[in-house]
Amino acid sequence: MHRTNYLKNKLSILSLLAMVSSLLALTAYAAWEVQPKLGHSLTPLPEPVPAPDFTLEDMDEEKHSFKDLRGKVVLLNFWATWCPPCRREMPSMERLYQKLNGESFTVIAVNQMEDGDHVFAYTGQLEVDPTFTILFDKDSKVSKSYRVNGLPTTYLIDKQGNIRYRAIGGREFDHPEVEKQIKQLMQE
Amino acid sequence: MPDYRHLIQYAVMNMHPIHYLPMLTLALVLAMFSNSSNAAKISAQKNEDSGLYSWVAESEGFSIELIQLLPDFIRAIYMSHDFPDAEVDEIAGYCVFGTIIKNTSQQQLDYDVAEWHYTDKHGKDYPVKTKSEWLEQWRKAGVTFSWTLLPDKGTFYEGDWQQGFTTVKLPRESEFTLTYKWSINGTEHTDTFEGLRCAPDQLSEK
Repeated sequence: MHRTNYLKNKLSILSLLAMVSSLLALTAYAAWEVQPKLGHSLTPLPEPVPAPDFTLEDMDEEKHSFKDLRGKVVLLNFWATWCPPCRREMPSMERLYQKLNGESFTVIAVNQMEDGDHVFAYTGQLEVDPTFTILFDKDSKVSKSYRVNGLPTTYLIDKQGNIRYRAIGGREFDHPEVEKQIKQLMQE
Repeated sequence: MPDYRHLIQYAVMNMHPIHYLPMLTLALVLAMFSNSSNAAKISAQKNEDSGLYSWVAESEGFSIELIQLLPDFIRAIYMSHDFPDAEVDEIAGYCVFGTIIKNTSQQQLDYDVAEWHYTDKHGKDYPVKTKSEWLEQWRKAGVTFSWTLLPDKGTFYEGDWQQGFTTVKLPRESEFTLTYKWSINGTEHTDTFEGLRCAPDQLSEK
């Protein structure tokens, strides 16, 4: 009798496991069918991390210090011209910049190990010429200080200079959800 | 997947078939679904313009795409970054694949290329040369450029992905299998990517 009850209980658990596993398998299959293009999810950091300071030159060899941006939310993007997803996400960064740039938001793109002439020639070929600031990290020291392993990598930094969100790989930065996250930081 | 074999064995030995057959059917269906969720779904594509192939393997929470690249393309990339000739020749002598990896789960994914290996058609196994190993070699040759290769290790969250070169030291047009690992929320997964082939030395005349 005990053995029959034991077996019945086991069978109920087995049926439940079967249903859950089947659902998981079907969900996994559905996920396979949807190839992510450029997504829009930014990962919130568990704890805000102070963004390392840096000073870099722009296309006109003018120096920019990151600490001078304190009080603004900054979308800080690490990129290079030879990096395909960097090229794909750049128009969305420009659209975002056109929409939100002002006293409390800006976009900074930090190029890795290329020179101004090369980048100038490259941006001239783009559908939309970027108007946000492009800085040159010629020895990748700044990207190392931000622990960037691959390009593109993007950080969203709050007005106090703390990294709040991170994205590895290309994104559509003018997606409403990204805009919402930025506006929340702008209102803090 | 939980192992139900002992339960099925117990049922077969102690129950009437009318009671254990539905359970056996259920377990077989479950096993079928479970296997399909653990094995990579592989697709191949030929670029009609270049004649080169690319392959995508989609596993649980992880997607990897390998794209054949020609040696001349690799030479051009590294020469444009002022690499010494010896280093250009060395990496162009490898089979180099454009590699795109994606976290297709909604959870934390970790990978470490040092745990990946490939097997040639004779069954011989080789570790994948990591970005750190290449960088160490390049540093000794006076090269500071540190991009283009797939990062060794990564922690990806929802939507994260990465691309870079992966190198395999096999002759041109060799067939091989890549065994790769990743973990999702600490649970390790391993899969094999079969039917891969190195690019030819040059494109054939059309």
